[in-house]
Amino acid sequence: MFSVTRRELLWLSSSGLLARHAFGTEGPQNLSYPLRTIDGSITPPKLFFVRDHFDQPEISIESWSIRIEGQVSHPYELSFSDLVELPSKKIEAVLECAGNAANGSAVSNGLWEGVPLAVLLERAQPNANASFVMLEGADSGKLFEDRSSLPYSQIVPLEKCREDSSLIAYKLNDLLLPKRNGFPARALFPGWYGMDSVKWLKRIVILGAQDRNSNFQQSGMDRLYNRTRHVSNDVKITRVSSVQVKSSVAWPNDKTKLPAGKYSVWGFAWTGAGSVRDVALSIDAGKTWDSARLEKQSNPHSWVRWNYSWQAKPGEYVLMSRASDGNGNRQPIERDPARKDGYELNWCVPIHVSVR
Amino acid sequence: MSAFGKDSAHQVGLLFLLLCSAAMHGQDCAQPGLNPQERLSRFRDLDIRAQSAMQQKRFAEAVQLYREATCLAPESPRGLYGLGVAQAASGDFLSARESLRKADHIQPTSPLPLAMEVRINYSLNDIDALKANLREEAERFPRDAQLHALLARFLAEKKLMVLALAESLRAQRAGSADSDSKVQLAILENAAGAYEDAIRNATAVEKQSEVLSALRASAAGVAGLSYESTGQREEAIAHLQEAIRLDSSRENSYLALADLFEQGQKYPEAVSLLEEGRKNIPSSSTILLPLGADLIRIEKYQEGIDVLRELLRRDPGREQAYLSIADASRKMGNTAQELEALQALSRRKPDYPMIHVLTARAMLNTNPVDYAKVLEELAAAERMAPTDPDVFYLRGKVYAATGRSPEAITALKRSIDLRPLEPSPYYQLARLYQKAGKSELAKEQFDRLKVLEAAPSN
Repeated sequence: MFSVTRRELLWLSSSGLLARHAFGTEGPQNLSYPLRTIDGSITPPKLFFVRDHFDQPEISIESWSIRIEGQVSHPYELSFSDLVELPSKKIEAVLECAGNAANGSAVSNGLWEGVPLAVLLERAQPNANASFVMLEGADSGKLFEDRSSLPYSQIVPLEKCREDSSLIAYKLNDLLLPKRNGFPARALFPGWYGMDSVKWLKRIVILGAQDRNSNFQQSGMDRLYNRTRHVSNDVKITRVSSVQVKSSVAWPNDKTKLPAGKYSVWGFAWTGAGSVRDVALSIDAGKTWDSARLEKQSNPHSWVRWNYSWQAKPGEYVLMSRASDGNGNRQPIERDPARKDGYELNWCVPIHVSVR
Repeated sequence: MSAFGKDSAHQVGLLFLLLCSAAMHGQDCAQPGLNPQERLSRFRDLDIRAQSAMQQKRFAEAVQLYREATCLAPESPRGLYGLGVAQAASGDFLSARESLRKADHIQPTSPLPLAMEVRINYSLNDIDALKANLREEAERFPRDAQLHALLARFLAEKKLMVLALAESLRAQRAGSADSDSKVQLAILENAAGAYEDAIRNATAVEKQSEVLSALRASAAGVAGLSYESTGQREEAIAHLQEAIRLDSSRENSYLALADLFEQGQKYPEAVSLLEEGRKNIPSSSTILLPLGADLIRIEKYQEGIDVLRELLRRDPGREQAYLSIADASRKMGNTAQELEALQALSRRKPDYPMIHVLTARAMLNTNPVDYAKVLEELAAAERMAPTDPDVFYLRGKVYAATGRSPEAITALKRSIDLRPLEPSPYYQLARLYQKAGKSELAKEQFDRLKVLEAAPSN
């Protein structure tokens, strides 16, 4: 979930605000794998992307617990045994880093199992003024030089946490979560970018509407994951949350040279709003578009694999894929020039292919 | 059923009380005129007969007998538990669950009805209800280590590894801390993916010199497997070696260690290890397959074939062994032996994937080649896999060798269509065009071949 873009990283470094530890070479992992290595539509755990802010914590399943507290009548703690023996739910869902490049591979699709977060929250009996939920991981460090070393945390509206699909997940593809993906339990908010799906979950704090001094603010996390839009002289800053409709060409790669022939161009498409409705492919840099085939019906939360049968004749081509979702959202051809942040990078990326 | 302590004075007293209570509540049962002592005696008789019926697997009869018993004593937990077990054994899981719930309600101090309900809910595939049972057991019997260990074992048998792990952790917390249960916990942690915990528990037992070698070997093996899963290969090798040193009669340790050597392409080490395993466990057939394959990998073809033939004598169903023999034979240039192995596999499993393509390919190396038979094999291969590019590639080669150029061109083009990134058909096609004097077309194919060779990562 390390989603600071190169531009943002440069800004943070030059401003002297970025703590070295947070992005040092020793600890935080930043791993992703080409989408073309995925067979079928489920990402195997070893190919699941990883974005960390801090060192991965050492957690023993025997002593781990999660505490639910804050604006509640009945704070409590759950052990691993308590958690996995609660009724659970399975969801196939895509997880994408908010800073995933336009044709990047910091996106994965897994079969998750966990306990609905709503169940855990209701057991704690939230007070009438409960409005937000802070999720805190066992990983910690300094995000900025001028801030203390604090646990990784995110704040999510209570309403989102109460959705059926919001889970405290402990399994990925029918096995316990791998350590690097949040073992033994993590939050999962299908349809939202990955940073809110806090890994190595240790604490859930229910906050009131006016609670503004949590670890989230104190660590400086509120300065990251914001949409920054410049319009005239005005700067609008809003929180990034819902995944934007997007498709990615898994094969061929950019600058590929191919002998003339018949090929299956393929990739994945996903959205945070409903399901993918269609994917179109252009071989002439977006001048004309043709429908790609979705390999199965698209479901909410998960990605769908698509392919396009291409009879490639000698020549130079610029391939682009473009997805639309059921809510009427369509991938933009280009990045909105008013955007000055490095998130929601979902424009159609040109893939140059030379056919001989 | 013995869990209700049938011989204890306390239990007899309890039964008596329950039977007295039944005398007041059981008016609808047709047992007129029995005094409490007679009821108790009748109940015991029914109970003994029902147990006997259960032992002899006459479950319907056992259900009937327990029904009579519970009719006499509707609030006897023993009768209801027996009835539940008999109903479950006869496949009536819903009634069984109801009987057990009644038993549990009447005697909440016993964990057994709930534990039995776990089994029933598993049979009903009602995992949410099963989890509810586990939660209730945890709440009511948090200190009963034996109960949680028992549940863990059952859940592990049913491959519900995460729930088994949860119960095993509860058993540990309740005081089940002996080496054996620590290793069991480590096994579950490894199976469920909690590798660091598995390593910690397993290595703790592995180091205990006073513990039995066999248990320490198990612990070392688990530690090795968990280290492997976390990518720590050297540690994994060290622990698996220790597992073998502690107990040389476990084939899994040899297999796991050999697999690690193979992953590191250390085939001579794998061979030497598996030879040692073969010597220590002569009855193991499982060791022979990797041993044969690894001997072939280090080019000891005939030795590999001999080992694999021994395996097939013991277990002719090991399909991979036929393929490995064929592979070794091809490398030795012994096409007849290669064909013999492939045909043996084909006889055994006619629909084995790619068997006809492999056979056709081998047949092309015979001298003289029986092209008609090769085409027959390819036709069979096409029936099994109509879009297998190898079928068309080999067919193209056959047609090219028999002077049927137009058909060869069609077949090779089809192969290219199906797998455009494979270089071989382009080369064959180019050669065909060359022979036919069509130099422009030949050049086009050679150019495409060059494009492919320049970008092997396509």
